[in-house]
Amino acid sequence: MFNALFAAMLMQATAAAHTTCPAIAPPPAELSGWTSPRPLAAGRTATRATELTPGAAVAARLPSTRDVRYVVRPEKPGGSVSHGGLFTFTVTAPGRYRVALGSGAWIDVLANGKPATSVAHGHGPDCTGIRKMVDFDLGAGRYILQVAGNGSANLPLMVAKLPA
Amino acid sequence: MIGRAVLALATLALSAAVAAPWRWTLPTGVSPPPVPAGNPMSAVKVALGRRLFYDADLSIDGTMSCASCHEQKRAFADGNPTRPGVHGDAGRRNVPGLANVAWLPSLTWADARVTTLEDQASIPILGLTPVEMGMHGGEREITHRLSRDACYRRHFRAAFPERRGRIDMTSVAMALASFQRSMVSFDAPADRNTLSPQGDAGRALFARACASCHAGPNFTDGSFHAILPLSSEDRGLAEVTGESGDEGRFRTPSLRNVAVTGPWFHDGAAPTLSDAVVRHGTSLTDAERDQVLGYLEALTDNAFIANPAFAYPDDGCSTP
Repeated sequence: MFNALFAAMLMQATAAAHTTCPAIAPPPAELSGWTSPRPLAAGRTATRATELTPGAAVAARLPSTRDVRYVVRPEKPGGSVSHGGLFTFTVTAPGRYRVALGSGAWIDVLANGKPATSVAHGHGPDCTGIRKMVDFDLGAGRYILQVAGNGSANLPLMVAKLPA
Repeated sequence: MIGRAVLALATLALSAAVAAPWRWTLPTGVSPPPVPAGNPMSAVKVALGRRLFYDADLSIDGTMSCASCHEQKRAFADGNPTRPGVHGDAGRRNVPGLANVAWLPSLTWADARVTTLEDQASIPILGLTPVEMGMHGGEREITHRLSRDACYRRHFRAAFPERRGRIDMTSVAMALASFQRSMVSFDAPADRNTLSPQGDAGRALFARACASCHAGPNFTDGSFHAILPLSSEDRGLAEVTGESGDEGRFRTPSLRNVAVTGPWFHDGAAPTLSDAVVRHGTSLTDAERDQVLGYLEALTDNAFIANPAFAYPDDGCSTP
């Protein structure tokens, strides 16, 4: 069942990607939660980073880049008219985690204030509304997710553990 | 009070920078590139251009700067065949590297009319075919965005006293051009004659098989040639001249740092440098091709790729 929030997100994402979609395609199994996002406002600082739950998608509301204080300067931070924000998530089971986005925004996953190195990245499947996916091998612990240079204040976003 | 003192010091520093003449650092035998009389080089203008180069506020939604496609680690090329614009429009042509771009007689892949970096700047920022940064009709918005930043106001005043620090697309293009002219790259192993035996053999083969077009210190004759089969999707130089003889002709690209600027050709269709060489239709044997590739690898200037003077500037508002 696709909820209304997801349908709006998909329209935005497909318009940005200039993709013609005759029908909404289901996301891959590991991102099945992508179609049922809950609204969530991003934090502006590390101490106010909002909590993501791995496996659950959010329809993130991002503040203006001018109001965000990143822990580490993003490699592509976006201009003053762009949007960004800070999230946090906890890994209890070590493994490969995927950050899926509905845009091409820049992301950093930070462990103890330092960016983790991504192990893979690519586009999401057509017509799913997933524009970008970045994978990280993460141990147990708490992480900060920085989102930077998003063209809109709205961003479909999800962190999910991939099958071993 | 302290803030005012700091501001005064910063202004003094900027004023001093204006007076500082630009000094080219070039190897013996290399003359400075042509610089338009109306846009002389200065250290403060280069610093301003560097800041602008990395500023995504030059795109409609703040997501794309010049550096989004021109990445220093790739000698200011992109790494993708083509690059979509801010609205998702498909890119048309491969992003070229920028090493020694000041010496190139024309810019872009297939338009001999674009001869200055000042003119070229408007193509990605304001252009429509394709839309890249999406600011067509948004020149006033650029002025608005930059003008609300105190650092930019000071930089523009210092860099363009003759224009009274005016912040507009003309000044932006002039500063971007100055920064790009500062991107000098003459420190590759091939420049220093520190070639491996394979690279040395490849140099002789290159001179025989490639240097008629990839000629001179930047390995380009600046001319337009048809190397690949014609395609109706991109007619090359013919699109601007209307001449049938220009069908499929594209500018000979510089080979400075070529090993890190792939994928190759105007459409990025060659995924490997070896494939790019093969597509030229040369009669090299496999062993000879490997030697040529060895020479091409020796055109990578690692000091250029790592030069902090070209990197994303610090968040502060300092200038030389």
